[in-house]
Amino acid sequence: MTSPSELDPFETHTGRPRSMPAPPPPSPPPAFDNTEAAPVYARFTDTDTMTLPPDPFIARPASRSAGITAQNVSAWFGDHKVLERVSLDMAPNRVTALIGPSGCGKSTFLRILNRMHELVHGAALAGVVELGGTDIYRGNLPVTETRRRIGMVFQKPNPFPTMTIAENVVSGLKLSGMKSTRSYAEIVEDCLVQAGLWNEVRNRLAAPGGSLSGGQQQRLCIARALAVEPHVLLMDEPCSALDPTSTRRIEETIAEICERITVVIVTHNMQQAQRVSQSCAFFLAGENEPGRIVESGPTERLFSEPEDTRTLDYVRGRFG
Amino acid sequence: MTVLDARPIADAGDVPLRVVVRRNPADRVYRGVARGGGVATLTLMGFIGGFLLLRSFHVLNARGFAFLTEKRWLAAQNGPFGIAAVLPLTFEIAIVAIVIAVPVATVAALFLTEYAPRRVRRLLTSLVDLLAAVPSLIYGLWGLFYLQPHLVHVSKWLSDHLGFIPFFHVQNGTALSAFTSSTFIAGVVVSLMVVPVCTTVMREVFAQAPQGEKEGALALGATKWGVVRTVVLPFGRGGMIGGTMLGLGRALGETIAVTFIISPFFQPRASILANGTHSISALIALNFSESVSNPTARDGLIAAGLALFVVTLGVNAIASTIVARSRSGASTEI
Ligand SMILES: Nc1ncnc2c1ncn2[C@@H]1O[C@H](COP(=O)(O)OP(=O)(O)O)[C@@H](O)[C@H]1O
Ligand SMILES: [Mg+2]
Repeated sequence: MTSPSELDPFETHTGRPRSMPAPPPPSPPPAFDNTEAAPVYARFTDTDTMTLPPDPFIARPASRSAGITAQNVSAWFGDHKVLERVSLDMAPNRVTALIGPSGCGKSTFLRILNRMHELVHGAALAGVVELGGTDIYRGNLPVTETRRRIGMVFQKPNPFPTMTIAENVVSGLKLSGMKSTRSYAEIVEDCLVQAGLWNEVRNRLAAPGGSLSGGQQQRLCIARALAVEPHVLLMDEPCSALDPTSTRRIEETIAEICERITVVIVTHNMQQAQRVSQSCAFFLAGENEPGRIVESGPTERLFSEPEDTRTLDYVRGRFG
Repeated sequence: MTVLDARPIADAGDVPLRVVVRRNPADRVYRGVARGGGVATLTLMGFIGGFLLLRSFHVLNARGFAFLTEKRWLAAQNGPFGIAAVLPLTFEIAIVAIVIAVPVATVAALFLTEYAPRRVRRLLTSLVDLLAAVPSLIYGLWGLFYLQPHLVHVSKWLSDHLGFIPFFHVQNGTALSAFTSSTFIAGVVVSLMVVPVCTTVMREVFAQAPQGEKEGALALGATKWGVVRTVVLPFGRGGMIGGTMLGLGRALGETIAVTFIISPFFQPRASILANGTHSISALIALNFSESVSNPTARDGLIAAGLALFVVTLGVNAIASTIVARSRSGASTEI
């Protein structure tokens, strides 16, 4: 990495595209509006060795949590358009829940927020995603650093099975080359406590990560994600396959970390959305149509007096 | 076991059910064919092993233990003969080949599965398969006429600079002629044939590395290399070992290329750079024509073949066990 002093400070936030936009995918452009941004075809490889821009958050370390904003985000898998012009503001220090029936593009949207979407062959996207005001697709932030700041917990727990529990927690520090002033032992304990797993594993930190139960593995993955000190944590149905105890622990963790970290969670459980989130967005995809946000706003309002009847039907459990 | 015995004696009616499976005809035919194929393979192996043993038995019986301790091979001259030199030299050549081939194959397999763009990947994969299909005679010719004159300079350089290591020490190593026809050069040529085999096995295992774990690493801010290190390599460890053993099996039996390169030598030695080496398969190929008319010499060669058969079989058996075990995924304890 080049030292930040070698970089032109005025270059940092100009939003200069790093890769030239490729020709748009073969999707019929909407006739009523042509303000849609050209799709960004992010190239993963050319950003691996990018120089690191000055960290805008170092100046104000107290507010590690940064808001994440999506504007007019569309997504394609090959010719298949799965998201259309989704705009959503996920405010800092809040939990935003994404709800909606299966297949309406919630996971796709979430994966666009931390640049995982581009890993799928044939995937394309359009629009702007900003983390704390910096465009993550056109800005200077290397893709690895973007993903470090915008962590992700997946639906299926995916600890590294051959590593020990403790190694799993600190694996991200080594993978992202992050320097920490604290010792590994401190980080391991701190993150496992935050993830509500410490008491269950404190005596077997050297056991392999694969030896835990599913719910414990998921909490280990949360601890692992927290260890790299993300600004945003994305969670894709983190509790959909878990026991009630693990689910409750994870909800407690979310409530606790949202003071420091912006959380975006996809959930199919309406009670969970109401329990954990302050904001909520309802996604819906019509038959053979891409997914859109029908309605978004404070969770309480969305569940008590939604503006759209489809939202009301969904939150009352009438479809989906 | 004790659990079963703990059943109360009085509970006489509590016997395990005899499970009867009635299969439909298609299933039965399929099982028959599959079983037949398996049995045929084993039978063939048995026949080959049995033939070798039968033909060489009287020689082994007559020579006794000396067959394993005698270094020279003077069977055609009615002198003593044994595999004490050719067997270790066979292993030396094979190990040189493996030491060169495994890192190359690992990097190639990682490139094919993790780094190569899709189109390049397909092309390169079929090229690697094609390399595996090139007859070893071709490798031998190319090794003899192209590689050998170049490699002697490498040998000389290694001996000049690293001669203090016994492997690289060559006596009277001032002239280039001291370095021709060495274990090292034969090993390099054999490694060319081993690389495609190793690459194919490793590539197949690396390609099975779980996507969920790879994405987990990426979401933590890992680079591609980080993903390879934390997910792909630990997952593929069994396949790497299996591929190595499979390559070793092939290297041990390689005949024609080695025969081209080597000049026969009957003394096991540490130096891999010095002129003169041997292998069992080259021994058989080189001595065959002058031995066919002499029953003792002929069956002595068959006995040497038996030794190679047993060794190769052992190596392949270990390899297939490891590869089979690594299939089941992440838990690759070996
Ligand atoms: N890797 C993929 N390749 C092709 N299509 C995909 C892929 N992943 C998801 N899709 C499609 O994109 C749409 C949205 O999927 P997803 O974002 O997973 O929905 P959700 O998470 O809301 O259930 C679905 O129609 C799905 O079939
Ligand atoms: Mg989903």
